[in-house]
Amino acid sequence: MTTYTRTNTALATIALLALLTGAGLSAPANAGGVTAGTLIENTAVASYDEGGTPRTINSNTVTIRVDELLDLTLTSLNPGPVAARPGEAVLSFELTNQGNGPEAFKLNANPAVAGNQFDVTVTSIAIDTNANAIYEPGIDLLLTAPQTTAVLAPDAVRTVFVLVRVPTGVNDTQTSAVELTAEAVTGSGAPGKIYAAGGVNGGDAIVGTSGALAAARGRLAAGLAAVKLVKSVSLRDPFGGTGAVPGAIATFTIAASVSGSGSVAALVVTDAIPAGTTYVPGTLKLDAATISDAADGDAGTASTAAGVRVALGTVAAGTNRAITFDVLITK
Amino acid sequence: MINRKMLAALGAALMLPLTPLAAQSASPVSLSGDVKAVKTTTAADGSERTELVEPGAIVPGDRLVFGTDYANNGAETVTNFTVTNPLPAAVRLAPDADAALSVSVDGGKTWGELAALKVANTDGTARPASHADVTHVRWVLATIAPGAKGRVTYPVIIR
Repeated sequence: MTTYTRTNTALATIALLALLTGAGLSAPANAGGVTAGTLIENTAVASYDEGGTPRTINSNTVTIRVDELLDLTLTSLNPGPVAARPGEAVLSFELTNQGNGPEAFKLNANPAVAGNQFDVTVTSIAIDTNANAIYEPGIDLLLTAPQTTAVLAPDAVRTVFVLVRVPTGVNDTQTSAVELTAEAVTGSGAPGKIYAAGGVNGGDAIVGTSGALAAARGRLAAGLAAVKLVKSVSLRDPFGGTGAVPGAIATFTIAASVSGSGSVAALVVTDAIPAGTTYVPGTLKLDAATISDAADGDAGTASTAAGVRVALGTVAAGTNRAITFDVLITK
Repeated sequence: MINRKMLAALGAALMLPLTPLAAQSASPVSLSGDVKAVKTTTAADGSERTELVEPGAIVPGDRLVFGTDYANNGAETVTNFTVTNPLPAAVRLAPDADAALSVSVDGGKTWGELAALKVANTDGTARPASHADVTHVRWVLATIAPGAKGRVTYPVIIR
């Protein structure tokens, strides 16, 4: 029984295929047009009466094969310059096979573009294997030289990552560009150039309007933030003056300012309580709001022994924060 | 075994439509098809001229002209002569095709000039047919005298 079922299923498939072929199934349409290798067959039929007898006759069938058009587009996927700091950075591009045949593309990333204020080092080119547009080390495929994509079907789109290393010594707001080029493996050149027998099934390949070569630039801008801390003190003695005498209260203010562009991460401000003074409990404030002395949910801790510690986290450039606390002068 | 037998039967069934109508005598009318590529060249003065050439490399967007030569090689006039040409799926009728050409947009069921034909939308309404909708073209001649011959052509663009 099992054998019969299988046999029938296989036959049904074959019969269906035969029907579809016989019905002159529409050629697949895609952006690049009719798929390369498609045979265009034209036959005319004439009908007429000969001495009152209806007759028909077919012409010969003219067959012509659609050749392969080599076309592609390459665009940067980064909406603006990628923030760069010394170290690794990733530029994203989108490569589309706009041709009508399967084609692989050679990739080349040039980090030395005219007008660059600094040049990065290209470490690798990677293909977004899981199509999530995010570079993931160990998941996305790193290309080895010569850096060439897999064969892409017509209309296929791939995200390409260019991994670069930003050198030390770049200054804030300096910019750089990396130019990625993609070229059809079959060849490139002036539109209309023919690569005889270079296409699908031994057909020709013809260079399309893109020249079968496309370039796109990804841009980087150094975003270097600098942190400046300014500490000041005001004194209030028991006599209404400002003398630094035992019993006087000293209020310290630490102004933290982040300049430049970008942001700094995990910014922590610490300060020891000066010798000969004790911390006045409950006086720690961040931007005039009191934060508790204990290690708890808020940003700060303070004690005479451990000093003052305030974690500001990620702070964007252009931000100012103020930390204040009081100490009592004991001797 | 069953598999092979049934496949053979299926193959035979598929072969059937290709069997020529051997019982009839030779046709007095001959039909001969050909295809040319339309090549546009721009002269030094910027003027464009087109010529029909043997197709070389062809890609989507290229223009072709399908032609059919007919001749009445018999001794008697034939009547009600109709040449019907289904368009290959990979091409569409070029916009510069003769507006008076008799075309069909429904697989050869109904015929007319393109401007008079409509195509049904999925929502039940109809829209004017376009060149890309044409499925068949045909030419109708009342008679062909003995020894007379002619040629019919239609231009297409590869989809």
